[in-house]
Amino acid sequence: MDNYVNTGKVYLIHRDFPLPMHAHSRVAASYARAAAHIGKFDAVEQALFQNQEKWEANGDVKGTVTAALSAADMKKVQALVDGRTLEPLIDKDKQAGQLVPVNQTPTTVFHCKGQTYPYAGVMSYDILKQFLDQLLAQK
Amino acid sequence: MMQTSPLNFRRAVIWTGRLLLAGIFMYAGYAKLTMGLHPRPPIGVALSFFALQVDSYQILPTWAVKTVANSLPFAEIGLGLLLLIGWKLRIWATLITLVMLVFFFAVLRSYAMGLQINCGCFATPEPLTIKTVLRDGALAALAVLMTIFAFMEARKPHAWTAPQNL
Repeated sequence: MDNYVNTGKVYLIHRDFPLPMHAHSRVAASYARAAAHIGKFDAVEQALFQNQEKWEANGDVKGTVTAALSAADMKKVQALVDGRTLEPLIDKDKQAGQLVPVNQTPTTVFHCKGQTYPYAGVMSYDILKQFLDQLLAQK
Repeated sequence: MMQTSPLNFRRAVIWTGRLLLAGIFMYAGYAKLTMGLHPRPPIGVALSFFALQVDSYQILPTWAVKTVANSLPFAEIGLGLLLLIGWKLRIWATLITLVMLVFFFAVLRSYAMGLQINCGCFATPEPLTIKTVLRDGALAALAVLMTIFAFMEARKPHAWTAPQNL
């Protein structure tokens, strides 16, 4: 993030793709999307990933998000989630993912100079860095 | 008479293995270098993307990932060509068998671990499934048979060699 995204070399887009096999993933996506809407995505995303096993087991997504936000921010997030105004955006992300198609977790799709490079799996920083540097070196 | 016929079972396996494995190896190497994209991306992009795929198997350290990614596509094309030509067949057949066995155990391990990754075999986003494991297993078995039969056939006089007592 510091070396490529914050320096403006790489544009990072997070896409939601809640899977039906994970009972609470749609709710988690709704809270994360709402948090992004008020500029608090990073804190909520971190809390959701760090406590994934917990809320997957007990379904308390709201509790996890509440712990990561101030009371005022949580109120705004809850209003957005209850209003369901951001749900079409999650559906749109999922439709975009199905076009790739996304069939593994995690999936990263690199776009550069009109080319698309879909990649599935985790990656180490050194190897990712090498690939990004090669993409950026293209004329 | 059957054993010295130029069209026996062993030779059929050797020829099938040579043609099939040579074709697959050359195509796999070429596909990794071009990524099947039009226009073809620079070779540095193709090799570094292949490095990501090698890394996704979570077997090798970073330096080894880079070494394998930078050499494997060229090695596949070279080995495929040498197998097809047939010169020093037993050497190239043995090497291809070793490479195929490594591929097979890599995909088998990843499948058993439940890693959700792409195979990376032909540089396309092909998910690693039981089909991949079975395909690589079948090709590895063919490579083993081809190599064993190549060694066995090399011990026999060729069918068209003149008899010693003439």
